[in-house]
Amino acid sequence: MTAPAAPAGAAAGPTRTAPRPRRPGRLPGFEGRMMTPGLLLLAALSIVPFLAIIVMSLARVRLLGGVGLHWVGADNWTRFFTDPDLGWAWIRTAVYFTLTVGLEMLAGVGLALAVWRLARGRNAALTLLLLPMFVAPVIVGLLGRFLTDSTFGLYTWMLRQIGYHGDIMGSKTSAFTAVVLMDVWEWTPLITLITLAGLTSIPASLREAAAIDGAGGWSMLAHIILPSISNVLLVALLIRSMDAIRYFDVIWVTTGGGPADATKTVPVRLYETAFRFFDLGYAAAIGLAMLAASIVVARAFIRVLDREGLTR
Amino acid sequence: MTRPTPLERGSLRSRVAAAVTVAVALVWTLVPLAWMALSSVKPSEQVTAATPDLLFRPTLGNYRALFTGANDLAPYIWHSMLAAGAAAVLAVVLGAPAGYGLARTRTRGKRHLSFWIISTRMAPIAAVVLPLFLIYRRLGLLDSVPGLVLAYLTFSLPFAIWLMSAFFAQVPPALEESALVAGCSRWQAFRYVVLPLTKPGLVTTFVLCLVFSWNDYAFALVFSGPDSQTLPIAASQLVTQTGIDWGQLTAIGTIVVVPMMLVGIAVRRWLVTGLTLGAVTGE
Repeated sequence: MTAPAAPAGAAAGPTRTAPRPRRPGRLPGFEGRMMTPGLLLLAALSIVPFLAIIVMSLARVRLLGGVGLHWVGADNWTRFFTDPDLGWAWIRTAVYFTLTVGLEMLAGVGLALAVWRLARGRNAALTLLLLPMFVAPVIVGLLGRFLTDSTFGLYTWMLRQIGYHGDIMGSKTSAFTAVVLMDVWEWTPLITLITLAGLTSIPASLREAAAIDGAGGWSMLAHIILPSISNVLLVALLIRSMDAIRYFDVIWVTTGGGPADATKTVPVRLYETAFRFFDLGYAAAIGLAMLAASIVVARAFIRVLDREGLTR
Repeated sequence: MTRPTPLERGSLRSRVAAAVTVAVALVWTLVPLAWMALSSVKPSEQVTAATPDLLFRPTLGNYRALFTGANDLAPYIWHSMLAAGAAAVLAVVLGAPAGYGLARTRTRGKRHLSFWIISTRMAPIAAVVLPLFLIYRRLGLLDSVPGLVLAYLTFSLPFAIWLMSAFFAQVPPALEESALVAGCSRWQAFRYVVLPLTKPGLVTTFVLCLVFSWNDYAFALVFSGPDSQTLPIAASQLVTQTGIDWGQLTAIGTIVVVPMMLVGIAVRRWLVTGLTLGAVTGE
C-alpha cells in the first residue's frame, strides 16, 4: 500500500509555493464560511456513495446476515463488456434516448413558435401546456397503462375507431412507442417553455429590420429566429438529455422492461439486476458506466455556460 | 416580453395554423389529465367500461375507499409531506448560503467546484440508489423518513446551491458594498440586503425541490418500508397480481398531482430560470 505516501506528498505541496498575500476572495473568507455547511453535506452525500459504488463494482455483495463484500477483482467488468443482453440494452437506451429527446425538441420548438404567434391567450395556453411537467413520472406511467389497457383504455378505444385492433402494451413496437410517447407527453412542455423564453428575448428591432428587408415566413425562421435562439436550444437539449438519462420510472411501472425485453433500457436492467436478482456488484458496474455517460453531458453543459460567461 | 408585431406575425393562414397547433397540443396534453380526474369520481364499475362513459353520477366513493379500507392512505400522505418538505427546507437552508458563497467567491478552484456540484445533480438515480442502499443497510437507515430525506438531498442540495447561485449572481455586488459602507457586517448585508431581493429565487428553489422529491419513485421504491412509504409507492401498490382498482388509482393520481401543479404554476414566472438551472432567464 502506498497510503502513507499520500499525506506526505500533500504536505510537501504548500511548501513549494511561496506564501501568497491573502486576497479578499480566497477560500476561508466569508464566502468560504457560507459554503462550508452545504458543501460538507454534499461531499458526504456524493463522495461516500461514489467510493462505495467503485468498491461494489469490484466485489460480490452479500446481503443476508449482514452486509458483506467478497472481492472478485475485475469479474463484474469482464461480464459488463461481454454481456450480450446488456449490449442490446445500451442500443435500446440509445434509441429510446434519441427518439424521446428528438421528438421533444421538434415538438417543443414547433409548439413554442405556435404559442409565440398567438394573438391572445398566450399565458393561459402556456400554463395549461406546462401541467404534465408536474405529474409524478410513476403516475404518468400508470395513467398511460390505464389509457392503453386492452379492454377499457380510452386510447385503445380511440384507436379501435380508426381501425387499429392490436394490444398496445402487448407487442414490442407498440409498447416501445407507448413508453416513448409517455415521456414525450411529460417533457415536451419543458422544451416549449425554454424555447419561448428564448423567443421572447429576441429584440423586436431585429425582427422588424428583417421583416422590412422582405424576410418572411420560413426565411425569417431559418435566418433570424432560429440562429438567435440557438444557444437557448442547446441548453434545452442538454438539460433534457441529462434528465433523460436519469429517469426510468415510466418504463418500470408500465412494461417493466417487457414485452420480450423490448423496453429494457440500461437503468431498468440495472434495477432488475440489483433489486430483483440482488447482484449488486454487477449492477454497480452498470451504474458507474451510466454515471460516466451523464458526466460527459454535464461537461458539455458547463462548456456552453462558460462560453456565454454564465458560470460567472 | 416582446411580442411579434402584426407585420411579422405573418399571414392569416400562418396565424390560423399556429392557433390550430396550440389547440391540438392542448387536447393531447389535457385529455389524459381530464380522464384521470373524471375516472376518479366515477362509480367504480363504470371506470372500466369497455366504451368510454361520459354519463355518470359523480361520486366520492373512490376517495372514501382510499381512506377507510385496511390500507389507509393518510400515513402515505404524511410520509410524502414530511420527506419532501424536510428535504426542500434543508436544501434551501443549506443551499442558499452555499449558493451565495459560490456566486461571490473568486477562488481558483471555482470551475472545478461548479462542475462537481452540477455533476452530483446530474448523476443517474440508479447510480446513487445502489451504494446508498448498501450504506443505509449498514447504518439502519432503510425504512425511515430521515433516510428518504438524505436520499432526496443528493439531488436537491446541488440543485439548490447551483440555482441559488444563479439568482444571487443577478444581484449587483454594489448593493452589498454600500451596505458594508453603511456599517453592516457581511452576514447582515447578506441577510438584510441580498436575501430579500432573491425571495422569488428562494421560493422557486423550494418549490422545485419539493416537486422533485414529492414525485420521486426510484428512491422510495428501494429505501422505504411500512414506516416511510410515500404516495407514489401507494399508487404502485394498487397494481397487484389479481388486478388493479383503477377507480382508486386515478383518485391517488389526482391527489399526487394536483398540489404539485398548484405550487408549480404559482412560480411560473421563474420556472424557466429554475428548470434551466439559471442558464436561461425568461420574461
